[in-house]
Amino acid sequence: MNTILFQLFGALATILLAFTVGMFYGGIRRKIIARIQNRVGPPIYQNFLDVIKLYSKETSIHHGAMQHMGPVFAITASITSLMFVPVLNGEGWFWFKNLNFSGDLIFLVYMMVFGSLGMALGAGQTGNPNSAIGVTRGLSQMVGYEIPFVMSMVALMAQFHTTSITGLMNIQVQENTWLMFSNPFAFIAAVLAMLGMFHYSPFDIVHAPAEVASGPVSEFGGKYLGLMMSSGSIFAFVKLTLFVNIFMGGAANLIELVIKTFALYLIPVLYGVTSPRYRTEQAITYFWKWPLFFGVIAILWASF
Amino acid sequence: MNSLILLLILVFGGALFSYLLNKFLPILRDGFVVLLMLLVNYVFFTMDSSTQIDFEMGGIHLQWAFTSAAFLFGIIVSILGLLSIIYSTAYMKGKDRLGYFYMNFLFSIGSMLGILMSRDLISLFFFWEIMTWSSYFIVIYSGKDVDKRGLKYIVFSAIGAYSMLMAIVIIYGFTGSFLLTDIFDSIFAIKASYQLAIAILLMIGFGVKSALMPLHVWAPGAYSGSPMSFTALFSGALSKMGVFGFALVLFNLVSNQNWLVNEVIAWLAAITAVLATFYAVIQSDAKKLLAYSSIAQLGYIVIGLASGTYLGVMAGLFLAVLHAVFKGTLFMAVGAVERQAGTTDMTKVSGLIRKMPWTFTASLISIIALAGIPPLGGFVGKWMLYEALITSDHYYLVIMVFLSSTAAFLYSYRILFGLFLGQEEPEFAHVKEAPLPMLIPMLLLSGISVLSGTFPGFILEPIQDAMVVFGFDSRIPNIEWWQLTVLFNSWGDKVVLQNVMIAIMGVFLIALAFITIKGYRKQRYVTTKDISSSGEIIQPEDNMTFQIDFYKPFERAIWPLLKRRIDDYYTDLGNGLEALFDLVRRIYNGNGQFYAIYVMAFLALLLIAGTKYFGF
Repeated sequence: MNTILFQLFGALATILLAFTVGMFYGGIRRKIIARIQNRVGPPIYQNFLDVIKLYSKETSIHHGAMQHMGPVFAITASITSLMFVPVLNGEGWFWFKNLNFSGDLIFLVYMMVFGSLGMALGAGQTGNPNSAIGVTRGLSQMVGYEIPFVMSMVALMAQFHTTSITGLMNIQVQENTWLMFSNPFAFIAAVLAMLGMFHYSPFDIVHAPAEVASGPVSEFGGKYLGLMMSSGSIFAFVKLTLFVNIFMGGAANLIELVIKTFALYLIPVLYGVTSPRYRTEQAITYFWKWPLFFGVIAILWASF
Repeated sequence: MNSLILLLILVFGGALFSYLLNKFLPILRDGFVVLLMLLVNYVFFTMDSSTQIDFEMGGIHLQWAFTSAAFLFGIIVSILGLLSIIYSTAYMKGKDRLGYFYMNFLFSIGSMLGILMSRDLISLFFFWEIMTWSSYFIVIYSGKDVDKRGLKYIVFSAIGAYSMLMAIVIIYGFTGSFLLTDIFDSIFAIKASYQLAIAILLMIGFGVKSALMPLHVWAPGAYSGSPMSFTALFSGALSKMGVFGFALVLFNLVSNQNWLVNEVIAWLAAITAVLATFYAVIQSDAKKLLAYSSIAQLGYIVIGLASGTYLGVMAGLFLAVLHAVFKGTLFMAVGAVERQAGTTDMTKVSGLIRKMPWTFTASLISIIALAGIPPLGGFVGKWMLYEALITSDHYYLVIMVFLSSTAAFLYSYRILFGLFLGQEEPEFAHVKEAPLPMLIPMLLLSGISVLSGTFPGFILEPIQDAMVVFGFDSRIPNIEWWQLTVLFNSWGDKVVLQNVMIAIMGVFLIALAFITIKGYRKQRYVTTKDISSSGEIIQPEDNMTFQIDFYKPFERAIWPLLKRRIDDYYTDLGNGLEALFDLVRRIYNGNGQFYAIYVMAFLALLLIAGTKYFGF
């Protein structure tokens, strides 16, 4: 009984951590974009205010069961993948142990897709054509970036003969190196794929405000939007932590984790503010050029 | 009586009897076929595994028995056969020539069981032909496009059958026996080049049925053209006969050193999977979409088998069972939509979720299993396949499978959105939920999809027995497979399925409760016309449907791959052959005087050549 309580407590702590960090990063991103566009911008805690406001709002309509469950699918995917990503290195802090040893990278890659598909179903039932267009764009783009991403993951698995995240982290601790130096091509391919994963400009074709009126989200307001925002920030934390764990040697404590994830987070953000949006087919084929090339090299590098 | 003979008599006799029954007492027909299939299942599952028959016919030794591998595929055939027959009773209601339909339906079930129990090549070929003919008769049942769909199917089946026959003759020439056990023992004694020829010829034969590229062109037409109740069996079980044959060839007729065969087959299957998935994405008819998706899924199965590792073969067989389960459900669901709404064209029908909630639930579960999303059964198969390929150094093959299964999300979403989600059209307002005999098989099958995601053991157990036939010893002893909930790869990495299930269900239920408790009572349902539209009010007659050119941007991105279809190559080949035959016709023009000239010319040629080379 005690262990179950302990685990639940740890899970809750992890979720809170991920939520807070993700929310702050979102706020900082808004601030950075504003400064680059020579605006003052909202305060960095603005996202918290938004979520609190959205939760406290009353939602008066729904489009049916699938639409009701769409945001639930999204947050299920975010939290479940969070449970399988180690937060800290080694034994770490016992709070954040969760289910780290119950799944591996392949599982996680699939778990991370769960949310977007559930969300897509929810958006589908609303009948808003903009939502459906956004979903088709998002899924198409996913085919683009998943390939270089998986290539770099396969390269690492092949190089170190393990498919588990904890396994890869242990190797970095033992050899006292970061995998981004052991297989630089895999890192490049993964970072380029990450640009698409974050759906920030120039790959923001899913939500493209001026084209499809924020796409899949357009029929979701109030508590639904609040849940989706929370899910989005948790998911951003999951992605960043996963990258830090795999390529940058993980983190020994929370401060190190925050520094490393933030450094990584700046890549899609800064690349985004300076680039205009792609068309959908450009956004897909982008990943089938240089990122794919680096992926192929990474696998060759790993196998020889 | 021997239960093998009883099984065959039941199915084949029942087939003929159902034809007669339809003539004289059509009211009893539905009940009879369902009872018959229940009886067949009873006989099949209570059968003693050591039952065997040996007999001589025309001086040829024939042998029938169920090996554990055949038993595995037999489970698919008998259970899916029963469920699709139950489904048929409602689906085919009111259609004509039902005696013809049920007779051929039962014939193909019987011939599949026959193929599985054959332990010699003659009866294998015999049952194989019955299967081809009976399924051909159902493919042309609707009478539409028979010259196109039916001809393609029968021509390719004939090509497959002839190459199989040729292989059988070559094998007999070398080994002097038709018995599989004799052949497996003596095949490695013959010359390697002949071994290869035999393997290639047999694989062409089996590859046609399992729709491996470039032999797949018959499949989209045949799958989408037959009645859906048969297509569920066609794609779920009948195509698995090809997989069964592939397994026999790969593990028993090709020596293990011949990795080239395995690599070539695996890559062919990978290309099949990727291209078929791309074609599935751009389809706008739900049946065609599922047909292409079946081709792609069979590609995964063959990749698993061809990888040749323990986990890979297990993954292939697991996916074979699972594919029968979820693709059977999906074809049934599409059939239900076809029957209730009148069309499966996704550019016409949409928004059926509120009218057919149970059909939607069944297809949602099957789609999740198909896409390989945890925590359902498809994920278990996919995971084993990936890990098997990675741990056996097939890195680029993994990427191909990944590309294919990521692109599969596109068509997975397409079919759910196209049929069930999206705008609710007033012309489909009258649609009702499918009748119970159609719903029950679908829901039962989706139950298997769900259960196998957390407890894959009950499928893995017969698979493990089957793998002994293919020359794999059981590697994990002292484990009750029924209790198995942890998957391992050969590097020792694992997925704990129970934790996955608990985590997903736990978070899902908490989040659902959270969102539902907060003011759900005050929420009211609004139609799909009541949506945000930048201030304009949408009128009921406004068309807000987005269904045509659904994945146009994706199509633009992959157009170099889709530019030329394999069909075109066959058409070119056909045209080329026609030109050749035209030339031949000019030579053999039916004019006696020309023939006289040919004879003279030939004699003259002989004379010249004779004096020059042979000296007479």
